[in-house]
Amino acid sequence: MAPAVLIIVVLRLWPLVLGVNFSFTGDGELNGTPVGLGNYLELAADPLFRTSLRNVGLLVLLLPVAVAIPGLLATFIYLRVPGHRVYRSVYFFPAVLSPVIVGAIFNLMLGYDGPVNAALGAIGAGPVDWLGDPDVAMFTVVGVHVWATFGMALVVFLAGFSTLDASLLDAARVDGASLGRVIWHVIIPSLTRTIQFVFVTTMIGMLTSMFGLLFVMTSGGPEGSTYLPEYYIWHEQGQMNRPALASAASTVLFVVMLVVGLLQISLLRRSGRQD
Amino acid sequence: MRQQRWWAVLMVAGLAVTGCGSAARTESPSSGKASQEQRKLVVWDWKSGEPAAATYIEKAKADFAGRHPGVTVEFVAQPFDQYYTLLGTAIQSGKGPDVMLFNGGGQIRDRADALLPLDQYVAADKSRLAGWDAFSKDGKIYAAPVTLQGHPIYYNKALYEKAGLDPAKPPATWDELLESCAAIKKATGATCFALGNKEGAGIQFWMSGLGSGILTPQEYDDWIAGKRDWSSPHVRRIFELWKEAQDKGLNNEGANSTAMFTDIFRVFETGKAAHIIGLMSDVGHWKDFGEFLPPDKIGVMQAPVDSEGATPSLPYDGGIGYGVAKWTKDPELAADLVRSLTSTGALTAFYAKAGAIASDTTIDVSQAGPAVATIVQQIKAGKPALHVALSSKTLDLMGRLSQQLLSGSATVDEVVEQLAASDRAG
Repeated sequence: MAPAVLIIVVLRLWPLVLGVNFSFTGDGELNGTPVGLGNYLELAADPLFRTSLRNVGLLVLLLPVAVAIPGLLATFIYLRVPGHRVYRSVYFFPAVLSPVIVGAIFNLMLGYDGPVNAALGAIGAGPVDWLGDPDVAMFTVVGVHVWATFGMALVVFLAGFSTLDASLLDAARVDGASLGRVIWHVIIPSLTRTIQFVFVTTMIGMLTSMFGLLFVMTSGGPEGSTYLPEYYIWHEQGQMNRPALASAASTVLFVVMLVVGLLQISLLRRSGRQD
Repeated sequence: MRQQRWWAVLMVAGLAVTGCGSAARTESPSSGKASQEQRKLVVWDWKSGEPAAATYIEKAKADFAGRHPGVTVEFVAQPFDQYYTLLGTAIQSGKGPDVMLFNGGGQIRDRADALLPLDQYVAADKSRLAGWDAFSKDGKIYAAPVTLQGHPIYYNKALYEKAGLDPAKPPATWDELLESCAAIKKATGATCFALGNKEGAGIQFWMSGLGSGILTPQEYDDWIAGKRDWSSPHVRRIFELWKEAQDKGLNNEGANSTAMFTDIFRVFETGKAAHIIGLMSDVGHWKDFGEFLPPDKIGVMQAPVDSEGATPSLPYDGGIGYGVAKWTKDPELAADLVRSLTSTGALTAFYAKAGAIASDTTIDVSQAGPAVATIVQQIKAGKPALHVALSSKTLDLMGRLSQQLLSGSATVDEVVEQLAASDRAG
């Protein structure tokens, strides 16, 4: 018991408390001087930080899309569309690529004079500044993140499908149900727990693992439109030499994650009770 | 349940001690006898791992070893995009390298608290090296310059020839530039400027590259001296022209998503744009362009004049330089390593291999080609670059606002107002 408590206190809680402590001190000439809520007030007034929090909200809104894509593809694989064995490995393949490589590949593809815009031009559509238009860039990065990570969710869905009672599907087919009705009335209710699990893991992934992609693809730009709290913390700490302000931002992120985490736990508990 | 309460109490206790610590250590450096025993110096930079800098580092090491045979010097090359993050962590912990590389301007001034003033150690080098101002704060020198960094406007003479223009006589005014660019566009399809503003750095190059043709000499000097009049029409004009260039299609398309160092120089080299505001240290300059453009096809022009009374000059400062950490055990030994890193022998090697305009004014550059000759010729009348006088915070903001100007989501008035407020806040 004692060593475990010691590890938790020294390696987990103490750094956390130090970080929170730093957030109430000043930077630069005020280094070490208590400034009360000064850093938090500065964060509240900083449009860049507000954008980063808004983007967290956007990620939560985009979550259903990020879950629906692997869910649908897994359904098609399960229903044995032609070539389903190939799809299984192809869809999973990006999951083993580093975000840096994925970012570099998509930077090339989505460049203003890159192949994607060339293809659009060939069909008569105008070029899109995928990474340079502030209204588009965040969706581009999230899209690439989903592309790179949905393989793992797909595997979880396929594992869920393996527990599905095939006789239910057969019964639906015998009754002449369309594909849409099969998905809505048979597959989704049978996979509730799997869907909830994928929701939780995808949300964690989106909130904590997009730094690499952001760093490579947009560096927070254009116009700061793709900032996320993680990127903001890195920027203030390293580039702007504001460690105390960065500590305040990480404390806010910690609270956000805590709230999201507690919501997730309550969600899982509720689903547990249903069983 | 009881356990949960226990954790909550612990958290609250942790939060209760807030406000009585510091993010960075403020200890003074250790001094005295221990320093005599220092047999190893650690240097952090982002250059020593590059092949072009290998001979430079070897020469500096040999110079230092000749005077301090028993001391080992270890160079740790960090990735540049992580450099200041890593350095920030080292500074906060009060432990780290003895000697470190800095960019001139805000990057070193923001961290001067962690550095040792070098005035007494580098006094003998003051007249030989140029670019000290970029490494000074409040009258004290914190690093010795290795290169000079400036923003010459390079142009592609081959495109001028194709458009029937005289490549030996580049445009001297903004209006002439517009005319030349129109002719080049018509004859070759190339845009006027190669602009990469993905990181928001394009505006810095623009401000400093073109500023001397827009501000009057008095305004320019006042700006550098910290008396910046953001309400001046000439200051506003810098941002107006930035927007005008975009609106008139003078820039390559997609400037806000084109990276400066990996992409935009390629646009210029391959003849897709006629001009680029480049660099003169060891990247983004004539030697880099030489892969596609032979030296005789690369011209260097002065800032085109846009306002009456403006006198164009080469904008330059100290580029990169080595400083000494406050916590080093033997300041004299570390400062001596800095002197070796800025010795004439070492800097000559850096110039020869990397093509950098070194800070040493005694190096002979007569063999380097016409572009270098033009730049060196302009150094004497040159002035510090405008953007270097701004704080890192204002530069960061300027990067984002410049992207808004390009995309049309902010007006010049809004941009100037916000920058003025940020500059006043310091």
